Amino acid sequence: MISELDTMSPELEEPQPTRLHTVIAAADRLAGSVFILPTVLALLLLSIFPLLASLYVSLARFKIAKGGFKLEFVGLDNYKKLFLGPERTHFLGAFAPSTPLTWFLFAVILVALAFFLAQYLLKARISLGGLIGRLLLALGLAGLAWMLVHTLWNDGRLGTVSTTLVYVFVGIFFQYILGLGLAMLTVQNLPGRRFFRVVFLLPMMITPVGVAYMFRMLTDTSKGPFTPIWQALGLVDFSWVNNAWGARTAILIADIWQWTPFMFIVLVAALESQPIEPLEAATVDGANGWQIFQHITWPAILPVSMTLILIRLIEAFKIVDLPNVMTNGGPGTATQSLTYHAFVNWRALDLGGSAAVAYMLLFLVTFFGMIFVNLIRGRVVEAL
Amino acid sequence: MKSKNMLIKVWGMAIILGVLITACGAPATTEAPAATEPPAATEAPAQTEEPAATEAPATEAPSGKMFEGVTVNLLTFVGPQVAEPLQRRGPDFTELTGATINVITVPNSELYQKALTDMATGTNAYDAFLFAPSWIVDFAPAGYIEDLTPRIEADPALQWDDVAPFFRDFNSYNGKVYSIPLDGDMHMVYYRIDSLQEAGLEPPKTWDDYLNVAKTLNGTDLNGDGEADYGSCISKAPAQQSYWWIWSIAAPFIQSQGNTQGVFFNTEDMTPLVNNAAFKRALEIYKETGLYGPPDESNQGVGDSRGLFISGRCALTMDWGDIGPLAIDPANSKVIDKVGAIVTPGSTEVLDRETGELVPCDETTCPYAVDGVNYAPYASFGGWAGAINAAAEDKAKDAAYAFLSYMAQPAQSNADVVVGATGYNPFRISQFEDQQAWIDAGFSQEAAENYLSGIEASLNSPNMVADLRIPSNQKYIQVELDRILAEYIAGNLTTDEAAQQLYDSWEAITEEVGRDSQLESYKATIGAK
Amino acid sequence: MKRWFQSKTYNTPSPVGKILSYLILGFWALLILFPLYWLIITSLKISSQVAEGPFYLPFVDFKPSLDAWKYILVGDLSNDTLRTFKNTLIVAPTSALLALILGSTAAYALVRFEYRPRVSAIFTFIGCLALGVAAIFLGVPWTIALAVAAAVFIILLQTIGRRFKRALGNNDIAFWMISQRMLPPIAVVIPIYILFQRLHLLDTYTALIITYVTSNLPIVIWLMRDYVSTIPIELEECAAIDGASRYRIFWSIVLPLAIPGLVATFLFVLVFTWNEYLLALFLSSANSQTLPLVIAAQNATRGPQWWNMSVLILIMIVPVIVIAIVLERYITRGLLIGAVKG
Repeated sequence: MISELDTMSPELEEPQPTRLHTVIAAADRLAGSVFILPTVLALLLLSIFPLLASLYVSLARFKIAKGGFKLEFVGLDNYKKLFLGPERTHFLGAFAPSTPLTWFLFAVILVALAFFLAQYLLKARISLGGLIGRLLLALGLAGLAWMLVHTLWNDGRLGTVSTTLVYVFVGIFFQYILGLGLAMLTVQNLPGRRFFRVVFLLPMMITPVGVAYMFRMLTDTSKGPFTPIWQALGLVDFSWVNNAWGARTAILIADIWQWTPFMFIVLVAALESQPIEPLEAATVDGANGWQIFQHITWPAILPVSMTLILIRLIEAFKIVDLPNVMTNGGPGTATQSLTYHAFVNWRALDLGGSAAVAYMLLFLVTFFGMIFVNLIRGRVVEAL
Repeated sequence: MKSKNMLIKVWGMAIILGVLITACGAPATTEAPAATEPPAATEAPAQTEEPAATEAPATEAPSGKMFEGVTVNLLTFVGPQVAEPLQRRGPDFTELTGATINVITVPNSELYQKALTDMATGTNAYDAFLFAPSWIVDFAPAGYIEDLTPRIEADPALQWDDVAPFFRDFNSYNGKVYSIPLDGDMHMVYYRIDSLQEAGLEPPKTWDDYLNVAKTLNGTDLNGDGEADYGSCISKAPAQQSYWWIWSIAAPFIQSQGNTQGVFFNTEDMTPLVNNAAFKRALEIYKETGLYGPPDESNQGVGDSRGLFISGRCALTMDWGDIGPLAIDPANSKVIDKVGAIVTPGSTEVLDRETGELVPCDETTCPYAVDGVNYAPYASFGGWAGAINAAAEDKAKDAAYAFLSYMAQPAQSNADVVVGATGYNPFRISQFEDQQAWIDAGFSQEAAENYLSGIEASLNSPNMVADLRIPSNQKYIQVELDRILAEYIAGNLTTDEAAQQLYDSWEAITEEVGRDSQLESYKATIGAK
Repeated sequence: MKRWFQSKTYNTPSPVGKILSYLILGFWALLILFPLYWLIITSLKISSQVAEGPFYLPFVDFKPSLDAWKYILVGDLSNDTLRTFKNTLIVAPTSALLALILGSTAAYALVRFEYRPRVSAIFTFIGCLALGVAAIFLGVPWTIALAVAAAVFIILLQTIGRRFKRALGNNDIAFWMISQRMLPPIAVVIPIYILFQRLHLLDTYTALIITYVTSNLPIVIWLMRDYVSTIPIELEECAAIDGASRYRIFWSIVLPLAIPGLVATFLFVLVFTWNEYLLALFLSSANSQTLPLVIAAQNATRGPQWWNMSVLILIMIVPVIVIAIVLERYITRGLLIGAVKG
């Protein structure tokens, strides 16, 4: 292991070569290991077994048996059910027939992907690994695009995969924008900003099950606090729960309400850690707010933002409490997320099916996580 | 240098590994979860000094209490319903026998998983469970729970014969009793006596009547607050009770020859009885009740619809027995003495299994019809019952059985079932016949008669329906049926599509598990030949 | 007039800016506080008041009652409530603190050191670990299994390990760490349950703490990585020249400067561990149940007991809010002002 600092620790003054010093020097060299090993070991020890066990379960069928239980190996059966078998509409959605519009949209996406691949191929250095990676990426995105284009309208119905994608991307978009906006406002020298900061933290602290029940109460159109408004609008006989997108919107609102503080607090810390000199200098030089933001603030918080979005991305894919409590996954299966889908199977003792869905979620998250990390983060660091 | 570096790293890791392992090993000795080793009973033999009527003497001995020092870990779900009586009577039981009853509660939706993982993995932290008897079909064949038949036979205080025959059967599997009922569950329809009288309507006898009443009263003001109320409140949220309500509607159309005829599957070849005119009619009725209910009914659970009925906003509802005691609660109820209970509506047509079509009721097709209407009350869920972990220690098992018996004995049970908050509904014949207890609890004479006769009529019906109790029943009912119902109610499937999809998915499960074994299981649980 | 739009310093908004800011901030605060207010008044209602429709003001619209509070805090549920509250109070901050310590050291290491674990080494390690775990599962006593696995690993490392030189970097390690969070807990609940059952740690604080620490480490590492990398390396270089050891540098220079990040991260992890439900449900049975379980359990067979639930939710957030208020000041300071000159 090489450390940057090692190259700088000079032997300026010959320290007395006492026993203690040798030990300290040795400990210093080992610092690299000492710092990271406990974490690595802890993660390894506790994650390997569950990971491998659940992988095996996803390839098996669970049965209660005398004296315990039985796991019967069935190969890719559980996965086949999701993609080709009875769980297909549940998982991928009900596909509407192709129309010129869908072909057009799909063609647009294909062109974009082709462009992306071409860009890579035209670079000076390409490697087989890189090429395969990008091909897989393009294939994956094309597949997802096909699915989305055919299920979003025209009588198509979203499956749990698409619903989850909607929750994740729409949710994170709003959470970030709101979080950033609020952070920038509270970083200003305003009297009373500490009050706002503490209040804005509150939603994140409520247990997710609690938030779900709270929003269930709030969105109840016959008993909740907004009933008079609802009645005034003449919508007494209409309930958002009967409409797929209405239900999804309600869940998105609850999700955004709950997790904007996450973005908010991290961005506040990041904004506060900015060194002050460049900002003052820029103001003195006459730059206006937008310019300061664009050239100084934004690059400074970009790395933290990327980390933040990645973390939130991973967490958002696992959403389950809100659909479970607010709508029970309804209407129909419209608000079911992937974790909810796994949960339904799990409750019925279909542990294999549940693990299969969980692994598909894992692949999906890894897919997007890697996209994010490799392409965006790399490019961000370059730009700095 | 490099290899030395490497060696140091390797040894360093090995040492750290070793340290971690030993550190993990240490707590094993100091922190053995208290639950897996109930303190060995101080063998101070117990004397049967306490009133012999309330105890099943498990051991007999001279001095001290019978189960002195024994702890029983009883798992159930968080109360107050169902758990509260256990927690309240626990100390009384301790007084009598010296055993400590430790009631452990978990959220209702996870009770099954907790019990299952505990027994399947051999943890056995719990000695007894208070859960749904339909689960014994999973636990009994695997040997997780104990066969209680010998204990019951040796326990006259339990008055097993007083337990309604239906509940005795429901708590048995393959002829052996595995759980003791503390609660009896079945569906009934409740109606507003005053509203129906005013509109000149009779309590519904068939489902068409029900729809008619609901339609007429929908939109009228039922609780005097000036706002329009609902004709029918039957909750339809997914993953709630949808998959039970549908059978209360479908059963009278499908089953007419008694419960050995079967209502879920054909007893010849195990094909599902769902892709036919009867089930489709039931689906349509179920959906139509939604037209006369609150707009967000498809997101409501039974707690919501119950609350609506009790606050006077519904003319009709379907529910378990809870509404009876809840309706007379002066603190919360706006419909005191206005609630009537009837057996769930029946049908004047019944399924011809050969053709898949509906035929009118007559002496051959509906031998048990009353006034030309075929009733098939559905004892859904069956009622909370107590079972004992077969792998628990003997003393703990004895004490657990004694406690369950104590709870189920008339002295305690009759007091609990008249109080709505306990969540226990009547299951003993004496509980229906003794109206006085109900009147003492606050029912008026008419209300008591009405409520109890509704229950009695249901229980005495020779055409009663029980839950599906074959392997993978959760998949059939709580996953597939629930999902298809939800899609149907949401308007994503037509009636024919829903019936067909249900048929296909049930067939897929049957094929997967094994048609012959499922058929055998099914016939065994309904007593068919 | 123009003065209304001028800001005095870079950080103080103009008068118009101030008004706009307060409007927006006030609006968002209202959005947050109203649901909480609703929660509070629901906790003062009884079931019929909830079923009949919305009532907004205690004493004006409806008669408030302390039934729910009494039930939760001193009545039938109080044993459950107080016990689980105590458990949560013990388990959550402990796990958060441990995760913070382990995680920030690892984060620092990932930023300042350069690791090159070889792919072959990783695979052999995982392979041997998997073998060891499988052996334990099949009944071999764990000491023997792990010792054998370790030996096999060392041997393989020296032989096969030498052949394949391809190595990964820091970013890969970091990605691996965050990928631990990708699998939804539902898939690993039962394996983890079995793991702790074999170790006889079910229903103890230890099991919960270990699980929470390992599941939150990745978040700590990723968040702290960014904070640590904003600390200029010159400071550490100066200290190194002065002869400070690596540990001392970390302890006296890096940590103090990273305090805003540490505090924010601690708050998150605290919130995550405080509110975690599924693993707590399975790893606890009687003694170590935590508060989220009691809240979820209020959705009884009767339907959600909104009033009880509201009380429980409110009780649950109080300690976290208190900690947040106390720690919030540390997030605000820009401690790097003047730290680096020239």
